Amino acid sequence: MMWKDKYKVHVPIIDQQHEELFIRVFSFIEIVQQKGNWEDKITKIKDTLEFMQDYVVFHFDDEEKYQEKINYPHIEIHKQRHQKFKEAINAYAQRFESEGFHEELVQEFGGKLMTWLILHIQVEDQKLGEYAKNTGGYK
Amino acid sequence: MKVEYINPFYQATNHVFELMLNLPVEKGDMTISDELVSSKDANITLGVTGDLEGNILFAFPKSMALEMVKIMSGMELEELDTFVASALGEIANIVGGNALTKLSESNYLCDLIPPQITVGEYKSISMASKQVLTVTMKTSIGDFDLNMFLKKK
Repeated sequence: MMWKDKYKVHVPIIDQQHEELFIRVFSFIEIVQQKGNWEDKITKIKDTLEFMQDYVVFHFDDEEKYQEKINYPHIEIHKQRHQKFKEAINAYAQRFESEGFHEELVQEFGGKLMTWLILHIQVEDQKLGEYAKNTGGYK
Repeated sequence: MKVEYINPFYQATNHVFELMLNLPVEKGDMTISDELVSSKDANITLGVTGDLEGNILFAFPKSMALEMVKIMSGMELEELDTFVASALGEIANIVGGNALTKLSESNYLCDLIPPQITVGEYKSISMASKQVLTVTMKTSIGDFDLNMFLKKK
C-alpha cells in the first residue's frame, strides 16, 4: 500500500479523498506491474487509468472548493499546480491514444504519476493542511 | 568548482530524500577526479544549462534503487524496469528543480535538461580535463554517489 500516515493533512475530507486517490493510482500501477502477457492486460489498464483519472478531477475540484471555503490565500497557485498535474496526465493519455498502450510508455507514466502524487501531497497539500490547522479550518 | 554551486545540489538531495522517501542522508567521502565512471547499476544524469553548465549524475546500486521505489509504492520489485527508472528519474528531477531554486537565490539562473537514465550498465562520462566531484551519500538503505560537474558559463 502506498498510503502513509505522514501524508495526512489532518482535514478529514481531504485525507479520505487522498487515500482513495492513492488506492486508485496504486491499483493502476499494480496492474501495470503484474507479470503476464501485456496484450491481455490492456483492457484492464485502460479501465483503471480511466477510473484513476476521473477521481483526480473529482478530488481536485473538491479540494479547490474547500480552499475557497476557508479563504486559503495560496488557492491560485494551488489551482495552477492542479491544472499542470491534470495536463501532464492528459498528455500521457493522448500519447496512449495515438501511440498505443505500449508497455514501456505505460510503465514510464506509472513511475512519474506515483512520484508526482507524493510530491504534490507532501508540498502543496501539506501547506494547505498547515493553513487549515492555524486558522481552525477543520470542517 | 565552487562550493556555492555544489551545496544547493547536496542540500536539495537531502531535502527531497527526506520529503519523498522519509530517508535521512549523510555525507560520506568526497573525491575529485578527471573522469567519471560510475560502477553503479542505475545512473541518472541531469543536464544543467544557463549561468552554470554541466552535469549531475546520481548513481545508485540496484538494491537501493529498488528499495527507494518500494518506499514510495509499497511494492516488492525485482527488476530495474522502466517503472523504477522513471520514478528515480523524477526524484532526480525534483532534486534538480529544488537546487535550481536555491541557485537562483544566489543569482545563478539555470535550466534543467530532463533526466537521462541508464540502467544495468556502466556509465562513463568523459569530461576531459574538467574536474568531477563525487560525494558518497550514506543512507540506511544503501550508499549512492552524487557526482557533480558544473562550471560558470
